[in-house]
Amino acid sequence: MRSRLWVLLTACLAACAETQPSKQSDVNTRRVIGVSVLTLTNPFFKVIGESLREVAAAEGYEVILVSGENDVARQQHQVQDFIVQRVAAIVLCPCDSKAIGPAIGEANEAGIPVFTADIACLAPGVKVVSHIATDNYGGGRQAALAMIEALGEAGGKVVIIDYKQVESCIQRVKGFKEVIAEHNRSTSSGRIEIVAELPGDGQKDKGYRAAEDALQAHPDLAGIFAINDPSALGARAALEKAGKADQVKLIGFDGQPEGKRAIKEGKIYADPIQYPDRIGRETARAILRYFRGEEVEPEILIPTGLYRQADALEDPELK
Amino acid sequence: MRSWQVVHRGLALLAVDYGMSLVLLVVAVGFSVATLQEQPADGPEGGRQLARLLARRYPTGGRVVVVARETQADAAFAQALADGLAGSPIEVAAEVRGRPAELRHVLERLSAAPERIDALAVHPAVARWPLLQELPGEFPSLRHVEVLVPRSHVWPSFLKADNLLNIANQIAVIAIMAVGMTMVVIAGGIDLSVGSLMALAAVVATRLIRDLAGAEQAGAWQMAACCVAAMAICGLMGLFSGMITTFAGIPAFIATLAMMLVASGLAYMTAEGESIYELPEVFVWLGRGADLAGIPNAVVLMLLLYAAAQVLMTRTVAGRYIYAVGGNREAARLAGVPVERVTVLVYVACGVLAGLGGVVMASQLKSGAPTYGQMYELYVIAAVVVGGTSLSGGEGQMIGTLLGALLIAVIQNGMNLTGVESYQQKVVLGSVILAAVLIDRWKRRLWQRV
Repeated sequence: MRSRLWVLLTACLAACAETQPSKQSDVNTRRVIGVSVLTLTNPFFKVIGESLREVAAAEGYEVILVSGENDVARQQHQVQDFIVQRVAAIVLCPCDSKAIGPAIGEANEAGIPVFTADIACLAPGVKVVSHIATDNYGGGRQAALAMIEALGEAGGKVVIIDYKQVESCIQRVKGFKEVIAEHNRSTSSGRIEIVAELPGDGQKDKGYRAAEDALQAHPDLAGIFAINDPSALGARAALEKAGKADQVKLIGFDGQPEGKRAIKEGKIYADPIQYPDRIGRETARAILRYFRGEEVEPEILIPTGLYRQADALEDPELK
Repeated sequence: MRSWQVVHRGLALLAVDYGMSLVLLVVAVGFSVATLQEQPADGPEGGRQLARLLARRYPTGGRVVVVARETQADAAFAQALADGLAGSPIEVAAEVRGRPAELRHVLERLSAAPERIDALAVHPAVARWPLLQELPGEFPSLRHVEVLVPRSHVWPSFLKADNLLNIANQIAVIAIMAVGMTMVVIAGGIDLSVGSLMALAAVVATRLIRDLAGAEQAGAWQMAACCVAAMAICGLMGLFSGMITTFAGIPAFIATLAMMLVASGLAYMTAEGESIYELPEVFVWLGRGADLAGIPNAVVLMLLLYAAAQVLMTRTVAGRYIYAVGGNREAARLAGVPVERVTVLVYVACGVLAGLGGVVMASQLKSGAPTYGQMYELYVIAAVVVGGTSLSGGEGQMIGTLLGALLIAVIQNGMNLTGVESYQQKVVLGSVILAAVLIDRWKRRLWQRV
């Protein structure tokens, strides 16, 4: 019995000794960036974190990457722990645009600059140095160009499957509608008429239902713009069920792997795609510029790129 | 009895009474060692130290530029430095208070000016700005300028006062909810709905304040009434769970699982799927204020609740009834314990305390959202079980739960401080919970054999 107790005690001590001390470099040169993203289960945020690390590491910064896992209280604790570690800068993809306010306020009080990537902070009274995100408005404009290209001379009726609760999706629809309106003013042939905007909540099942309803109301529908890949794929399922997959051209958004594969198979005509790697790299560069004493813009927008079937056929990720 | 038996018995007693505190101590020592690092002197002490350093370095006088950021701590640093230099031959040529961009402007001006600058006296956080390390390259005329920083001392980040307060504050919500859960588990039940109930309480309280108490203009008493109403609703939900487990004979696991879904749905409906943030500034008093000697109010509340619960469980008839119901339901009934009433009441208490947890969290985050509290039921149950309460009922102590909650918080905080990433954190936390329970089981066997 006594020997077992000793085994346990030694094991405990060994465990203590084994917890390796964190890098004990000179505090005056050790520079750490604390990053807390929305969730690491979505590859989008993992790519943001990893590309940020890549650029920052080249300049001698160490990056601690954690995830709030959609729990803003946990994210607040992570920010508090970053402050105790006296990190040089904090990067957040907030789990809640409003409730993250107090945590950013604490970082402000501690004099640590805060940057947001992809998701903005909407809480009043707190300071964010810069917000780095996709240019959703520009992306919406690209989606409209793709739609004009897909419908060609014929033009026709188009339905938008939107998500009005989310700011980024509102911007996408705004850009889309503006370009369509410009197009209609400038040509007489191939006019495009937006006949309805239906809620899709960015989800497959809602997108499916919205597309079904749209087909009932407008049997001669020519195109659908869905504000993200899941709702576009839902719409695609409805088109296939109704046997109108060839008649209706589909434009998505995002460029998630599933969406890209659908583009490769010709199920979606094209996507304006987001570049999480560029968001991560630009965030790292904004931090480096801030510490070099340059003025950093309060908002840095990363343009989307139009991704068609030809791009998908060349894409090494899909092979 | 041979001498080793005496020692052994002593150790066993120690393990039984203080097992969890020993584990906690070992973990705390481990993290202290792991987070041992140089701590810069960044308050007034740093300023005074730097003033002495400057006086020794330039005994005949010199011109220095003081650089600090815009925070209050930096202001104290700069003030102490200025006070220390008063009356000495050293002249402060300029004082920069702000971002790297402001420092660059000043450096540009200085490099163009004819007067010589001897040194930059900088706050430790400023010393890490690459701008200062690239000084000779970027501003050749400032090549000879020295950068002086106060010396740092070595101390574990884990043991810094503000980190210890952080831990206490971070665990307050889970620990408060764990009080109710401990009672339920000791009474032989389980409540899976606490996470959803806390989200419900957070949105009900914030919605009432926004819609009925005048949003940002709400008074303290009105807010208190809204919070009490939210807790009462959670108490009602607890009452319902208690009734269906007791009178309909449905297992607590199923009844509270259903209640978890109902409460979560109600929270989304109440908040209309969004977060509610139109709240007065004073609403954060409960979650973020610290009125008593710098101890956060949420922590004071937590300690008071544990003290009250400890008394209730060990010194009152009600407490003994709870243990009796969990230990042997039939025997308790035959002994005249009102088994049904006791069971229902512990679920009510658990609901109310989950509601209180939700109110504290809403206050900490200055908003209420239906997404709060996901998976919290599991953390709460983990705290209870790690604290030595038996899931089969009839056994356990409040103080154990507090230690269990503390252990979980310490491990999470320590992993954040040592830079362990999210994926590994889950694995470590799970293993620690398992290890704690195994040690608990082992020490019980040990105790029985002695």
